[in-house]
Amino acid sequence: MSCCCENKSDLTLLADVLNEYKSVKGSLITILQHAQEIYGYLPEDVLRHIAEQTDIPVAKVLGVATFYTQFRFKPVGKYLIMLCQGTACHVNGSERIAAAIKEELGIEDGQTTDDGLFSIKHVACLGCCSLSPVMMINGDTYGNLTPDKAKQILRELKNEE
Amino acid sequence: MSENINLKIDGKDISVKKGTTILEAARANGIDIPTLCHSEYVKAYGACGLCLVEGENMPKLMRACSTVAGDGMVISTMSPRVVRARKVALELIMSDHDGDCKAPCTLACPANTDCQGYVGLIANGEYKKATEVIKEALPLPASIGRICPHPCEKACRRQIIEEPISIAQLKFFAADKDLAGDTYIPEIAADTGKTVAIIGGGPGGLSAAYFLRRKGHSVKIYDKMPKMGGMLRYGIPQYRLPKNVLDKEIALIENMGVELINNVKIVENISFEQIKKENDAVIVAVGAWKSLKMRVQGEEQEGVFGGIDFLRSVILGEKPDIGDRVAVCGGGNTAMDACRTAVRLGAKQVYVIYRRTRNEMPAEDIEIKEAEEEGVIYKFLTNPVEFTGENGRVNGVKLQIMELGEPDASGRRSPVPVEGKFESIELDSVIMAIGQGSDLAGIEGLDLTKKGTISADENSFVTSQEGVFAIGDTINRGAGIAISAIGHAKKAAIAVDAYLNGVDICYKEPYFSEREVTRESFPDVSEISRVKMSQLSPEERKHNFDEVVHGYTEEEAQREAHRCLGCGCHDYYECKLIKLANSYDIDPSRFAGEKKTNYVNKYEFIERDVNKCILCGLCVRACSEVMGITAIGLVGRGFTTVVSPAFALPLDKTNCNACGLCVQLCPTGALQERSLLAKQVPVKEKAEKITCNECDKHCTVAVSYVGSKLARVIPADMQSLNCVFGRKELIEKLSKRLSDAK
Amino acid sequence: MVKYMKIAVGQGSCGIAAGAGKVYKALSEQGLGSVLAKTGCIGMCFLEPIVDIYGDDGQLKRLVKVSEADAEKIARFVKEGDEEAIRSLEISCEDSEFLTKQTRIALRNCGIIDPENIDEYVARGGYSAIEKALDMTPEQVIETIKVSGLAGRGGAGFPTWFKWNAARQSVSDTKYIICNADEGDPGAFMDRAVIESDPHNLIEGMLIGAYAIGAKEAVVYVRAEYPLAIERLTKAIAQAKEKGYLGQNILGKGFSCEMRIKAGAGAFVCGEETALIESLEGQRGMPRLKPPFPAQSGYWNEPSNINNVETFANVAWIITNGGEAFAEMGTENGKGTKVFALTGKVKRGGLVEIPMGKTLRDVIFDIGGGMRSDKAFKAVQLGGPSGGCIPAALIDTVIDYKSLSATGAIMGSGGMVVMDESTCMVGMARFFLDFTTKESCGKCVHCRIGTKRMMEILDRICKGEGKQGDIELLEELCVSIKDGALCGLGQTAPNPVLTTIKYFRNEYEAHIEERKCPAGECVELISYSIDPEKCRGCSLCAKKCPVSAIDGVIKQPHKIDTEKCIKCGNCKAVCKFSAVVCE
Repeated sequence: MSCCCENKSDLTLLADVLNEYKSVKGSLITILQHAQEIYGYLPEDVLRHIAEQTDIPVAKVLGVATFYTQFRFKPVGKYLIMLCQGTACHVNGSERIAAAIKEELGIEDGQTTDDGLFSIKHVACLGCCSLSPVMMINGDTYGNLTPDKAKQILRELKNEE
Repeated sequence: MSENINLKIDGKDISVKKGTTILEAARANGIDIPTLCHSEYVKAYGACGLCLVEGENMPKLMRACSTVAGDGMVISTMSPRVVRARKVALELIMSDHDGDCKAPCTLACPANTDCQGYVGLIANGEYKKATEVIKEALPLPASIGRICPHPCEKACRRQIIEEPISIAQLKFFAADKDLAGDTYIPEIAADTGKTVAIIGGGPGGLSAAYFLRRKGHSVKIYDKMPKMGGMLRYGIPQYRLPKNVLDKEIALIENMGVELINNVKIVENISFEQIKKENDAVIVAVGAWKSLKMRVQGEEQEGVFGGIDFLRSVILGEKPDIGDRVAVCGGGNTAMDACRTAVRLGAKQVYVIYRRTRNEMPAEDIEIKEAEEEGVIYKFLTNPVEFTGENGRVNGVKLQIMELGEPDASGRRSPVPVEGKFESIELDSVIMAIGQGSDLAGIEGLDLTKKGTISADENSFVTSQEGVFAIGDTINRGAGIAISAIGHAKKAAIAVDAYLNGVDICYKEPYFSEREVTRESFPDVSEISRVKMSQLSPEERKHNFDEVVHGYTEEEAQREAHRCLGCGCHDYYECKLIKLANSYDIDPSRFAGEKKTNYVNKYEFIERDVNKCILCGLCVRACSEVMGITAIGLVGRGFTTVVSPAFALPLDKTNCNACGLCVQLCPTGALQERSLLAKQVPVKEKAEKITCNECDKHCTVAVSYVGSKLARVIPADMQSLNCVFGRKELIEKLSKRLSDAK
Repeated sequence: MVKYMKIAVGQGSCGIAAGAGKVYKALSEQGLGSVLAKTGCIGMCFLEPIVDIYGDDGQLKRLVKVSEADAEKIARFVKEGDEEAIRSLEISCEDSEFLTKQTRIALRNCGIIDPENIDEYVARGGYSAIEKALDMTPEQVIETIKVSGLAGRGGAGFPTWFKWNAARQSVSDTKYIICNADEGDPGAFMDRAVIESDPHNLIEGMLIGAYAIGAKEAVVYVRAEYPLAIERLTKAIAQAKEKGYLGQNILGKGFSCEMRIKAGAGAFVCGEETALIESLEGQRGMPRLKPPFPAQSGYWNEPSNINNVETFANVAWIITNGGEAFAEMGTENGKGTKVFALTGKVKRGGLVEIPMGKTLRDVIFDIGGGMRSDKAFKAVQLGGPSGGCIPAALIDTVIDYKSLSATGAIMGSGGMVVMDESTCMVGMARFFLDFTTKESCGKCVHCRIGTKRMMEILDRICKGEGKQGDIELLEELCVSIKDGALCGLGQTAPNPVLTTIKYFRNEYEAHIEERKCPAGECVELISYSIDPEKCRGCSLCAKKCPVSAIDGVIKQPHKIDTEKCIKCGNCKAVCKFSAVVCE
């Protein structure tokens, strides 16, 4: 990971979280999860701030943050599409859904549309295997997808904008 | 309470304290279990998978680094299953290890001369040490440096930028310096009482003698000519290799105790059988002294000379009668030597007849160019069909005009005759330089190849007769270049030595990791032209046999040597990975695939090359567990994990104190410390421990030298890792003190 | 007239995804709020959303695949007793068998109680087991578990009592009991269902475990991808504390235990117990060397016991009913029941809990109803990335630890993915290796680089670029990775490859030697064309083609431009005349 932003984040937003957890050992992941909830991702200055406040070397903070797929280091779109890559979804054609999303939005795993509206992330199983293939957008699950159905869902979200 | 544990490792009964790991137990008893991720500095980690051992009645292999020895365990450290797992681990590591163990120049050299090593030493002004490095691979550097077609330079990476390094010329620069002063003579082992006879005193024979003598064997060389040197003396013209240079280098070999016996012809003076009987081993190195014929009408006439025969007779002062108009047939280096010699003998018109074009000529470009400057006329795309003559003496040649057809199997476009088109030239003599063959008269009973050369194994150089080895132009593919014969000699010496000691080992090409590069791989390198060696102008040189080139001055040599990109790994001699890899007979190409992304971070003191990192984690663990600094960490997950400071900052922008423990523990060249030398060069360094008296802690530090120069100051105990001055200030202080002391 | 006491809408993740939330809302808009209730997942995912209507006559009406539009009909039934209104929504006899053929212990409350209401759990006998356990000695509790023969349901099948006993024997003031709810197998959702539908059962099981080993702190490590599970478990912990089942001096019997949740952050390897501990400690989830085992030195270097959700979900039942009752079910090599997440090409997918000793056929055909399409059953994948594919020929394999291992697969945590003829087995192996490669922590060489190289080889085979000797190379890698990898993830990563080579070697060979994918799934090896005999020229395929590769005049046979075709398969999927051929 390299320096990706010079923006100044509002670090005061994190004060409560740090107060609660900074002296509880083993809480780094929890703090990072809260930070990501607050900022949408983990900006460099926030990571440095967490390191300073928790007295954990910044190299270690980065090591932990980059280990887990949940953490992001770039802002994501308004709608985060999590496309399930579970076995059942694979067997039932999740690759075709990925292709349909690419056709509709022009983005692949890890990318965000230019208008900042959509990001897509392939995730390990969402646990809704009986509805496979499945995707989750901002917490809502959509199951039994077909390429057409997936496109339709995305278009509806676009139209809401 | 100290309870003892009894176990068996590799059949050996061992008793250790309770809590001892299998690795510790084995090591304490002289049994080596390999590991790349374990160090007593840090906690066991279990990453490399090399310390695996097998326990009797245990379903899973165990990691010796962390498994505590148990009572009654029966451990095997080299079972087939263990070896297979280790071998695959090493192959996997290597398949993702992107670096050059050795520079391409070194690998391209048939004798594997450490070109990067001596070029780097020359850059640092360490000429004596440079000669020492060269003489590990070849004993005749002043001669070879002058005449070698230098495959090293053809492989030199610098030509991606502009031109290759003048590796060969730098070699004879260093060797000339050595010959002029306090000449280097290698150490010679105690006499073994074994005798080796070498038939043929050319570059191969002389080199074999040199290497075997170093091992303490008694060596004699038989040669049919009045002086030693073979083709170097009798096939290479004086203007390229002054014979006094060769004499000096041969004298050094003689001084080492090699017996040189000239004017000995097999059969006439001594029989092959007798030589075999009198010696423990024999090396046949008789070369290829027979000029090949073209089988063209009129070839038998007077005035038609064989290329090497012609060159030899000139060198012997026989003044062959070639007249004013001379045609040399052939396009190789012998043709060039012949035509340029003809010029020097006073011929007015010298032609080179070659059936392809200039592009296909096997001769060196520089030779082709210099011959042209000296007035040689090239007749490309022509092929002699008849040598005309009068009264048995040649007076001309009829040439078939050729054109280039389709490429053949070797990719070269083969010449085909243009029907009906011919040309005739009037001549006084013809020199046929189209190839050489071996004359094996008297050397009987050895299996031969279809070409009529001796058949020998290219790793051990054994022939069909026990105790008889053969090297150089006289084996297998036939005539090659001198350095190839020397390469044979170097490897054969290992095999002969083993044979004399009754061991069945031979030279084995080691595995080296190699990297693929493009111009983009060198973003920081700008163009610097090669330093041209001054030489005689065509007018000054074409009427005499004076040496054409003048040699480098020290300033020129250093400037040229500084151009070297330093491709080979600077950690080669310290690298645990490559040593281990070569002891498990690996073939990583089986697993060739994607490698980690290019990521090199240069810092003025500690350089990080992620491409070479094997993620043993020693650096990261040492930095946090031992030093409590944590300047670096693991970033990412899985295959793409890298070791990096936070946000990929340079180390000096972090809290790194440059203690260097990470570098010391790194099992590969992924972490390296810059030495104090102006030009970084990988050579074996001599290290000694001293007590530092710069403060009252009196730490132990290790200092190492390259030649006469201080190269490194390394913390050698725990407290010195936390030097009060900081590492860089300590180095300054100590290097000043050490140089004052000198 | 029958009075309808309760209308329960299944609100597991699948139910919600299928629209249960909307159904619930529509029902409340129909004025049914007073009897409307939420429940967890009954496990019949293929029928979601499901609405259960309980009458005071003890009868249950189970309505399936309910939509918002059905709310009015349901209201009519509940208010007016109009049975006709809901006739079409009622579950079929055949589908009911999905449940009736199961034996539910771990899932006993799922889809029956409201997971957010502790009283419903207590009403079904909940928290009586901890009470009983606290009257026993810890040793007796462990002995009961030993008698039951309960083995770890996370995959390895290690005897639970043994781990508990080891932790019990370790001397320390501080011990931990940890629940591994990092259900990582991509194709399994048993643990999610238990937590979402019956969180107190987990809490109670963990408390009993805590008491047995002497732990005062319990931690549940839940995957980040399970927000609903985290939410419900959080509520349940709060309720249990309030009621005195959790916290200080539980039930006044002097035993204290606190419980908290730690959310994972996305790393399959954290299902490995030492990696899980690293993650709990806020570190990179890289496995530690074993020994020492967690029972000696685990979380914060203290003795720790880790079991998975399903294991704990059996504990309260065992204490209540006795170890012998549990041990009566199953075989010599596996006691009690096992929960499977049945998915893939099967007709009826969902949660299946059966006694060990049943066969794969029982699950896939009797309970699951066989294949969804008319294609033949080909194989079943068990154990996810650590497991293997069992071929149709072995369909009568008995479900217990030993029998399944003998096939090369493993019991695993319970993922059971059914495949038909259209699934490429090499592609399947590649799918799992792709997963393992992405999830490898990167610590040890054999796994980090070995799985990557296996993935690359499988990838080239699927692309028709396989080389002679690739199968042997894969086998060699498999053996060495099993021997050399540091943790369970790496050591089992070769299983999907080994089993597919073992049972479907001919498919590998077809890819390599003939450059053909027999299942017609590997995109690089197939091509689509239209059979002019069958094509009626309806042009539906042309309309659905995303790259306009299909051309033709209406009512005349169409043609596919193979240069343009991206082999998405849309045309084949929409063709009503089976005119699109894939070879």
